[in-house]
Amino acid sequence: MSGVSIGEGRVTFDNVSRFYGEVLGVNRVTLAIPPGITSLVGPNGSGKTTLMNLMTGLVRPTRGEIRVLGIPPDDSEPLGRTVGYSTQFDAFPRGLTGFQVVASFLRLFGYDQTTCGRLAGAAIERLRMTDAADRKVAAYSKGMRQRIKLALAIAHDPQVLVLDEPLNGLDPLVRAETIALFRELAAQGKHVIVSSHVLHEVDQISDQVILLSNGYVVAEGQIQGVRGEIQEQPMQVLIRTNRSSALASRLFEFDHVVEARLEEGGAAVLIKTRDSGRFYRALNQLALDGIDIEGVMPVDDNVNSVYEYLIGGEGSR
Amino acid sequence: MTKLWLAQVASVMRLELKKSFFARRGLWIYLLAFGPALLYLIHAIDVTRDHEHRQALLKSHPVETSTLQLIEPRMPEEKVLALVGEPYQRDTFRFGRRQLATFTRLHYTDGDSDYSIGIVNGVVARIDRQDRCNVEKDSAIFATVFQFFYLRLAVFFGCVGIFMNLFRGEMLDKSLHFYLLAPMRREVLLAGKYFAGLFAAVVIFTLGTALQIAALSWHFEPGQVAAYMHATGWSDIASYLGVTALACAGYGSIFLAAGLVFKNPIIPATAVMLWEGINLFLPAALKKISVIYYLQALCPTVAAPESDINPLLRLLISSAEPPAAWLALTGLAVVTLIVLAVAGLRARQLEINYGTE
Ligand SMILES: Nc1ncnc2c1ncn2[C@@H]1O[C@H](COP(=O)(O)OP(=O)(O)O)[C@@H](O)[C@H]1O
Ligand SMILES: [Mg+2]
Repeated sequence: MSGVSIGEGRVTFDNVSRFYGEVLGVNRVTLAIPPGITSLVGPNGSGKTTLMNLMTGLVRPTRGEIRVLGIPPDDSEPLGRTVGYSTQFDAFPRGLTGFQVVASFLRLFGYDQTTCGRLAGAAIERLRMTDAADRKVAAYSKGMRQRIKLALAIAHDPQVLVLDEPLNGLDPLVRAETIALFRELAAQGKHVIVSSHVLHEVDQISDQVILLSNGYVVAEGQIQGVRGEIQEQPMQVLIRTNRSSALASRLFEFDHVVEARLEEGGAAVLIKTRDSGRFYRALNQLALDGIDIEGVMPVDDNVNSVYEYLIGGEGSR
Repeated sequence: MTKLWLAQVASVMRLELKKSFFARRGLWIYLLAFGPALLYLIHAIDVTRDHEHRQALLKSHPVETSTLQLIEPRMPEEKVLALVGEPYQRDTFRFGRRQLATFTRLHYTDGDSDYSIGIVNGVVARIDRQDRCNVEKDSAIFATVFQFFYLRLAVFFGCVGIFMNLFRGEMLDKSLHFYLLAPMRREVLLAGKYFAGLFAAVVIFTLGTALQIAALSWHFEPGQVAAYMHATGWSDIASYLGVTALACAGYGSIFLAAGLVFKNPIIPATAVMLWEGINLFLPAALKKISVIYYLQALCPTVAAPESDINPLLRLLISSAEPPAAWLALTGLAVVTLIVLAVAGLRARQLEINYGTE
């Protein structure tokens, strides 16, 4: 493994990519997730579920390596005991009650019937689902299904909890209770990895946030850090030209340009600027002055647009 | 470790059994399994009615079997009538120019067999005897239907329905992750599902076989049945039930594996059916890569398809001696285990792919 600190107590991704045929799921993800509440935040289709399926062994990486507290995800026996996953898939084995779903899942662990009953009862109680436990899951509301999935994930007391959009479909009261449960689990030293497509839904409770966009991790860290990182980060632009050194020196004269660097063996210039408006005006002028510019490419506009999306809310779907 | 695996296999089976017996849109499996028994039952009712009818005719037109057997070709009609009396039915056909020639059929019965005496120009021209169904005749019919319909079609497609869906069905239902998230080896999951499917298939189809045999023997006199049972009956029945169960095990493994590889059940089902169908024509080495080859060797009566096959096709049949029973059992076990091993490897690679939402 390169780059990442392996740390036995972490969930690590080392340069992991996953493609579905031609479609990109996630690309070049390198992460080391410590215990505590970690949020995977990104718009729909950004790769949250793919990351979660990867760390629970439901799909395999096309490239790269994943370890969950040191366990490779295709080692299903130890992994299943270590991880509890509340999926975004809403299907359950047919014809079972909430209690039977949880209890029969526990039976697959090899526990005897009494133990299964006890653990299932406790998990269901913890999600305040005891009253509905003997009803068929098929008749559950969205919120109840969400809670029975959480009960399923915590029932065997796993060290790592992977929860895909767990707050979806919960009413405000239950949502608050559920968040309290996450905090409680995190306080016990567990990994609680939660996904959401709404940043403000999770930013208050998260110890760290991982921002995803189009299959890439675009920012990661503590929430204040991530916010700052995005706002203060200068915009980067790559300009292709055959007169790169001339362009670089002319641009560097502007005070909003923080950095101008030759790239691609002199065929391009990478500019970091704090003011994109003034930068583009300056670039136009230089072009008019006769510097032949073949292409202009924003390098990480991405982060800004994702962040706008996540905090803006106006386009949140 | 093994104890854990066994417990897990049992847990998977507990969850799967209900699904295997009552698969959605699985009613046709029962029709395939119990359809033949129903047809035999109708046959039995028919035969019984027929018998009662003949008994009634015998009452109104009494005649001894031994007397009926005295009728010979070229005997004049008057002599026949003097010997056995009036027939219960007489059909007369006229033909030829001006309808001068006549052909008469006189029908007699001794209560069991039907005798039809053909008279042309006043003398006996032919004697046709139609015996009541007997055990030999019916067991030959059974052997043919069993091998060419029941094994090759009913059990075959029943296994497609039951086993193909073990993984594929849950992928379609989007519920497979329930199992994949448990701390359980994929091979253990596979074994649990296979045994659940096998249990259901064996119960359904051996019951189908048993009911066919029961329906078929129902119309015989108790004495006839007892005599047959005393001869080869019990071992025949045991073989048929055993072959049915082995067919479920063999085809089950194939379609369990196919369900891990293919999305559309039609493709593997057709391919396997063609392969099994041309088995007769394959060279000996290739024959062995099949299920039907071994099953046929284990059937008590080898129904010979060769007799009613086009002589040109018959030339193509490579006549390998059917293997001995123990060899057939071993061969089938080897084929099944290899297929299951391949399925196990596939199951390890298995990923959730519910399609994009
Ligand atoms: N089984 C699949 N087959 C093909 N494409 C998929 C599949 N699952 C996910 N994708 C694609 O991968 C990308 C990431 O999807 P996903 O991980 O579900 O994102 P999120 O959970 O953030 O909404 C999307 O473009 C999606 O269309
Ligand atoms: Mg998702």
